[in-house]
Amino acid sequence: MRFLFLIALLLSMAFSDDGNYNGSKPTKKGVAPATNALYLKECGSCHFAYQAGLLPANAWEKMMKNLENHFDTDASLAPDDFISISNYLKDNSAEKNMDYKRSSRIVNSLRGRAIPDSISLTPYMIEKHRDIKPHLITQKEVKGIFNCIACHTTADKGIYSDNDLRIPNFGRWQD
Amino acid sequence: MRLILLSLTFLSLSFANVIDDYLTALSVDAKKETPSFSGFDAKRGEVIFTSEHIGKKGKAISCVSCHGTNFTQSHQNFFTGKTIDPLSPKANPTRLSEAKTIDKWLKRNFNDVYNREGTALEKGDVLTYIISKDK
Repeated sequence: MRFLFLIALLLSMAFSDDGNYNGSKPTKKGVAPATNALYLKECGSCHFAYQAGLLPANAWEKMMKNLENHFDTDASLAPDDFISISNYLKDNSAEKNMDYKRSSRIVNSLRGRAIPDSISLTPYMIEKHRDIKPHLITQKEVKGIFNCIACHTTADKGIYSDNDLRIPNFGRWQD
Repeated sequence: MRLILLSLTFLSLSFANVIDDYLTALSVDAKKETPSFSGFDAKRGEVIFTSEHIGKKGKAISCVSCHGTNFTQSHQNFFTGKTIDPLSPKANPTRLSEAKTIDKWLKRNFNDVYNREGTALEKGDVLTYIISKDK
């Protein structure tokens, strides 16, 4: 019995993603889904409504300070909506969701680094997408790395697993 | 049933009032900008809507790039591919139904396409053009 337990332990260690995180191990898959109706409406009208747990609070704050030039688009908000959405992002940011695997990985990849300008510029995201051929990312069905849902079919539920990955004109992804 | 119809009628009436009130307020500002102002014009609005300009992203775009020319149909954001619901209030009853939302998009979209905010005259002309397509 004890032997079986040891094997199970060893197997789980062998198959765990990678060991480069600090602190306690996350217990939940993906990121916490975005549920705030105002956030989904205001931010989701132009692009995929990225979960707040994909960036730490300081990065959201940096982004919200510059909404008039939001990736060279004017995304400015009415003052009341600006406050509500800023608070939502701050209260649900990655470092407050360390029990979620992706939030934890993103936060840990940023240790000792500058505040990132976007989710796709976090070291974890760069690393995770580095083997994907650029033309698959820039193709018209995807447009850019910002368009999570174009390939991650369950991204709106906060799940970014390889199993749910379908790259247009390529198909499933094998790591 | 009658109640539903009645409330729908009220709803559409109040929406019509939002855009009418919005245009009235804009016409006051337009008169301040240009004393010779004599009303908004759908034809001028069409030119504003369809002409291409180097926008905020440094690329030649027009309002059509994201909204298309058939306002009863949805279209895609030129840059992100995200679906944009129809511009026509007839096809999309929530469109132009809230002053705050109209403010937000006119400011953003003039900046995105023209790289500057629109004047009251331009905003009024382009709104007049959009609603004229429903008539």
